[in-house]
Amino acid sequence: VKAPPFAYARASSLDDALELLHEAGDDAKLLAGGQSLLPLLAYRVVRPSHLVDIDALDELTGIRPAAGDVSLGALTRHAELERAGLEGAARLLALAASHVGHLPIRNRGTLGGSLAHADPAAELPVAALALDAGVVLRSRGGERRIPVAEFFVGPFTTAIAPGEMITEVVLPADVREGRAAFKELAVRSGDFALAAAGVTARVNDGRAARVRIALGGVDATPVRAMRAEAVLEGRELSRDAIAEAAHVAASACDPVDDAVTSAAYRRRLVERLVRDALTCLGDEAAG
Amino acid sequence: VTGVIGTSPARARDAELLTGRGRFVADIDLPGQVWARIVRSPVAHARLIRVGVERARSHPGVVAVLTADDIPDLRVPIRLQFAATPEAGRALQPLLARHAVRYVGEPVAVVVASSPWVGEDAAELVELELDLLDAPADVVSAAAPGATLVHEELGSNVLNTIPVRYGDLEAAFAKAAVVVRRRLRIGRQTGAPLETRGLLADPDGAGGLTVWGAAKVKHFNREATAELLGVEPASLRLVEVDVGGGFGSRGELYPEDVLVPLLALRLGRPVKWVEDRAEHLVAANHARGQVHELELAADRDGRLLALRGTHWVDQGAYVRTQGILPAILPAHHLPGPYRWEAFAVTAHAVLTHRTPVGTYRGPGMTEAAFVRERLLDILAGELGLDPLELRRRNLVASREMPFVYDLGPESPPIAYESGNFPACFERLLDEAGYEGLVSERDRRRAAGEHVGIGVAATVELGAIGPFEEATVLAEADGTFVVRAGVASLGQGIETALAQIAADELGVDLDAVCVHHHDTREVTSGFGSFASRSTVVAGNAVAAACGAFRAEAAAALGSTADAVRIVGGLARAGDRELQLTALGEARGRFEQPHPSFSFGASLSMVSVDVETGLVTPLRHVVAHDVGRAVNPALVEGQLVGAAVQGIGGALLEELPFDEQGQPLAVSLADYRLPTLAETPAVQAVLIESSVPGNPLGLKGAGEAGMVGAPAAVANAVADALAERGGDIVELPLTPQRIDAILAERP
Repeated sequence: VKAPPFAYARASSLDDALELLHEAGDDAKLLAGGQSLLPLLAYRVVRPSHLVDIDALDELTGIRPAAGDVSLGALTRHAELERAGLEGAARLLALAASHVGHLPIRNRGTLGGSLAHADPAAELPVAALALDAGVVLRSRGGERRIPVAEFFVGPFTTAIAPGEMITEVVLPADVREGRAAFKELAVRSGDFALAAAGVTARVNDGRAARVRIALGGVDATPVRAMRAEAVLEGRELSRDAIAEAAHVAASACDPVDDAVTSAAYRRRLVERLVRDALTCLGDEAAG
Repeated sequence: VTGVIGTSPARARDAELLTGRGRFVADIDLPGQVWARIVRSPVAHARLIRVGVERARSHPGVVAVLTADDIPDLRVPIRLQFAATPEAGRALQPLLARHAVRYVGEPVAVVVASSPWVGEDAAELVELELDLLDAPADVVSAAAPGATLVHEELGSNVLNTIPVRYGDLEAAFAKAAVVVRRRLRIGRQTGAPLETRGLLADPDGAGGLTVWGAAKVKHFNREATAELLGVEPASLRLVEVDVGGGFGSRGELYPEDVLVPLLALRLGRPVKWVEDRAEHLVAANHARGQVHELELAADRDGRLLALRGTHWVDQGAYVRTQGILPAILPAHHLPGPYRWEAFAVTAHAVLTHRTPVGTYRGPGMTEAAFVRERLLDILAGELGLDPLELRRRNLVASREMPFVYDLGPESPPIAYESGNFPACFERLLDEAGYEGLVSERDRRRAAGEHVGIGVAATVELGAIGPFEEATVLAEADGTFVVRAGVASLGQGIETALAQIAADELGVDLDAVCVHHHDTREVTSGFGSFASRSTVVAGNAVAAACGAFRAEAAAALGSTADAVRIVGGLARAGDRELQLTALGEARGRFEQPHPSFSFGASLSMVSVDVETGLVTPLRHVVAHDVGRAVNPALVEGQLVGAAVQGIGGALLEELPFDEQGQPLAVSLADYRLPTLAETPAVQAVLIESSVPGNPLGLKGAGEAGMVGAPAAVANAVADALAERGGDIVELPLTPQRIDAILAERP
């Protein structure tokens, strides 16, 4: 488990990183926290020609919850998300981050890295999807912002074009309101989830609004359970309503059998996890 | 007498290991060393048509590339002659594959390069021309007539069929009021020490070698390696440094253990090899994978009558150093601590296209305990009898000791020399607070939770002979050097032996230094396995210390009892003697029969019936250790083994796909239990009078493992009793529990 040969360059600034990335061509990879990339290199699953190390770029750090949108630097560590005091629906990121791996992994792993890696079972992409996050991509040629729903293309595949990198993740201003809950089932603490559910909603006068249910581990990318969201819109988060929504979420998702985990089992997990997450949301609203 | 036996001084190496100053084989480097990288088969079964090495050889930094064509047809021998058969002898593993590859991970070539990175780059350039063949999917289909043959020349994948028989089976079954039958399965698992294997071989320029990285059985490995290399054993020096866990797999002789020294001799420079985790999970011994079909007969009162069964043990693609022991052991441990009128088991050792197997902590005992103890709980259910009561009625009583199952002339007897099994079983229940646990279970069940309690009663075989020798020598500074041919795997053997020597000599613990790590300094020994070192080497050390005192007494014209050793002097009355005037004293302890000791485990779990996730809540293991030389170390062994057993019950499995590709190739897929998956584990040391050796010791290194999977499985079955799930397979992963429950909605 030694990495294959690659050229390495440490970027001194964001512009330098973009320049290095451009020069290195299509087979370059960015190295940030390294928590996914280094194991893949060690197992020689990926063979980038160049690594451009952006791990020390201050420009890409920090959470700026000023007025308007909430901006999270691409190098925001999972541990920072946990500790940042995010409130309302945005707290989903903190809840999701706490399920990622183990403490040393969360100290190094980055938000941008997790989204760019696009593991279909990873937690932060699920949270980003539920929060309607926007992903800011920059290249030498300029900057664009795409909704996270269009960002994930397939397993380990995103809309990032050659020469582009994630610089920040932007959450809409209204994520400061509402509530969040995240549930997953992993065989061991810190393992990749067999299935995960992130939910957010506003609860006014006991009624749910702007419900978002995102699922991980059940498809090629994280997916929204929109029919289940619709079940709850404007309704009380009663046991029955929650059970109905959970059932709809499970029926509507489309996992596949793999060597050790059946699709039927994952669907049962989705029903349970969505139910638990929504119950948690309802309890929080009540309490 | 200082009385240090029975106290718990810290392990000799704790300070270094806990502060990152341990010295493992990967930490040792020599000037001019080069790195070996093993090229391994990427497929489970193929004819090997050609190994193309030209590109690898010309890669910058490559020193050599070795294939089977470059070496004689050498095979790794069987270490345990009692587990060798002519058929097993025909399925030994070659150092490098020659005409066929038979499992994913089989060594095909070795690249030697300037660094591990260059070695791995160049290994990818070795071209394997392969003609792919079928690989039977599992042990039972591999055993079926017409299955694709792993070794064509053997004519069958069933290497050996061993019958084990006691008593009049037909008569016992004829009396049965109840017979329960099940087919039970245990997945493949492995010891997975946190330090992978590694070697550094340094040629001395005169045809000899020093090899660092030895463990477990270094003297056997020295003899066997010397024979394969065609050198004198005395010219080979094997050295242990710190070892990060053994668990049965580490330290056996593997192809790499011969290839690395062979390359060092040929190249005339140091060659280093450090196994990586991906390699380890396909290259080092696997274990456990087996299927049992078993029938248990009992009378109406729950008196056990007989067991009848067949099992198929997956030996993998070759027979390794432990022969067919993995197939035989479960049969010998099937009766366990109970009285049976008869039993008969047919053990099949079956070749498959998987990594070869060996022993793993509690070999055979653990699997036998799982199948037997599950059947006992199923029987208790059918009889409407409390599982504890069923066991109480059938445990061998102390008045029946010594208790022997004579297996005929072919087999050593199963002989329980001492112990009070029923009392130990009650002690487990008392220490666990069984009544309180039952109340808690019932309370939580009433609240809707699926909680269960399971127990298992077991016997641990330990203290295997045939013998061990030790020496003791006084140094000029008043200290003593004790030498014994054991191996330290992190279990603290140096500390236990030093405690024994200190007591026998009547000196401070600090005055004793135990040497075991270097075959040049300790020229013979059987090593550390089968919970033997403290018992067999400990008694040899005691004998050596006794001989030392006797020599001092003779020189002083006194009796050994009257001799006092103080500050480098022996004193008797008003006479004294410089201890350095005495030579090295020797001791030997013969152990013709292994010891069997009673153990029992209790587990409480909670099962989430929607997700299938099992959460262990409590685990208690009690074990008759005879006498605890160092209680903290023994407890550490029991707790560590129990945690490993809980991992085996719930998490750990080495699955393969239909083509024989391994699906667990990292510690993300081979799920060792972490603290988060581990319940509070309580160890109960039971001390008893042991007639078999002067120190009164029994083995304990595996005891925590033996009953753990059985107790956890019984607890899961108890938790699911109302749902009616049949728990007959390990590990009990969430997916497996879900599948069991899905069958019975």
